[in-house]
Amino acid sequence: MILVPITYKGGVYRLDEVIDYIEDLGGYIVQRHNIASEVILQVLMPKEDIKRLAAFSRPLAGEIQESPLVGTEIAVVIPSLEIHHLPHSACDVAEYLRSHGSKSNMLGMARGFGKRIAQMNDEERDLINEHDLAIFVLGNFASCIETKFPKFRPGITVPIILTGGPEREVLEKQTDPPVAGYVGGLGRFMHRTQTEADIHRLDLVIDEVIKIVEARRQEIANDPLSVSPARLQALIKQELPEIEEVYSPSPIAVQLNGLRVKLSYPAYAQKVRDLVIEDEVKVGDVADVLPSRMRDYILIRIKPLSETNIVV
Amino acid sequence: MAGLDYFEVECTEDGSDNYNKIATTVLQDHNLLSIVEGLHIYIDPEYPLFVATGFIHPPRSAIKISDVGNVLIQDNQATIAVGDETYLAAMLKMLWLKLGHDNVDQPDRFTVIIKNVEIPKDLKDWMVIDPSQSLFKDLIYAIQVIAPEGFKVRRENYGKNRFSFAASENTIPADVIEKIIADRFAKMEEALK
Repeated sequence: MILVPITYKGGVYRLDEVIDYIEDLGGYIVQRHNIASEVILQVLMPKEDIKRLAAFSRPLAGEIQESPLVGTEIAVVIPSLEIHHLPHSACDVAEYLRSHGSKSNMLGMARGFGKRIAQMNDEERDLINEHDLAIFVLGNFASCIETKFPKFRPGITVPIILTGGPEREVLEKQTDPPVAGYVGGLGRFMHRTQTEADIHRLDLVIDEVIKIVEARRQEIANDPLSVSPARLQALIKQELPEIEEVYSPSPIAVQLNGLRVKLSYPAYAQKVRDLVIEDEVKVGDVADVLPSRMRDYILIRIKPLSETNIVV
Repeated sequence: MAGLDYFEVECTEDGSDNYNKIATTVLQDHNLLSIVEGLHIYIDPEYPLFVATGFIHPPRSAIKISDVGNVLIQDNQATIAVGDETYLAAMLKMLWLKLGHDNVDQPDRFTVIIKNVEIPKDLKDWMVIDPSQSLFKDLIYAIQVIAPEGFKVRRENYGKNRFSFAASENTIPADVIEKIIADRFAKMEEALK
């Protein structure tokens, strides 16, 4: 069963029925945002049932949109968390990803600034590798990016999108080996992205991200995961009530092939491994439960069918 | 740039447009557009080097109590009818410090009353704030924000209505910088004649 990411926008009136309906159809609610009297649900659900949900929610004025970024966790990497990159450029990119359904984390390096002096440490590298993909938002000068970017790349195993001030062609030409995506004209800036041209550049970032995410989903479909990340999320929510006491905006962040559970690894890792998904299949049988480099959180990496011979 | 008589970003490779925008936004955000008269930015990403040189308008004169409001002295009591609230907080702070917290009262938003102390004759001429004092500090801070990040080796100079700022991540050869700064100042003076 292929789950498709969608966003549901609607009012609170009879919302519980909509949620029940989604769950009855075999869908999972990945994240829920309450904004005043409006609710936005990010949902993964079976493709053939989307029209049923559309018909069900029409009298309630609910809107359904396909949003390919739901269920992804993306790192927006900037040279540092200094006023030079914040709040604009970095935050605007991260926020735009968020508005398209992705869970984005901003990652400023401790010593990522400068040209000759730029560095990245192992903690930063490992953290980036815990995401589905990384967007490097660098500066305005081609020669600077050319020297600096190769220092950040070693050890990064997730697809990279490189953005910078120079034109896309320039970035493409000087990056060797090539990275997964490029966006030109988006370097360091200090103003809010309000103009059409600014928004267009952010749209280009989204296009690149969608391209990579869809290719990755296709790759996963060829060798499906033993269990859907969304299903694991629902299971953890149901079986570990402590997750309700975590005050992060998303206590469980869903990724393309895993989850980040914001519970302490030493206290909960074994409990998570022992959760029974179905019959006698436990989480530990179909996934690696690992310590995350983000605080003391738990990182779950789901194994593919070819490795476990189980699909639940 | 609006408000500046001279503004130029000189760059040895593509990217000056972006710095043009960055400088405009930062000066605007820090309310410095009306203060800076001319600004020349020189960037060499290869070395890398960032040099900013600029002129400022003569700083505004110090703000006195009479600029904040009318002072009326009667029966050993002074009443200040506040006209401009911008510097009210600074004035109150200064009065509390000099005359004591108990003797300075603000019964409503636009009235400050001083009593129980001998009222100084020159009260209305007391200085509330001197804008030129913090001006260069603000200016250098803004230039640091404009400069590419990570340029920790810095040289900054200010005095008599002009300032210069040079930064790099490598050591800065003094003679080269002096020459760049002098040339840019000469260019700006020529343009502003």
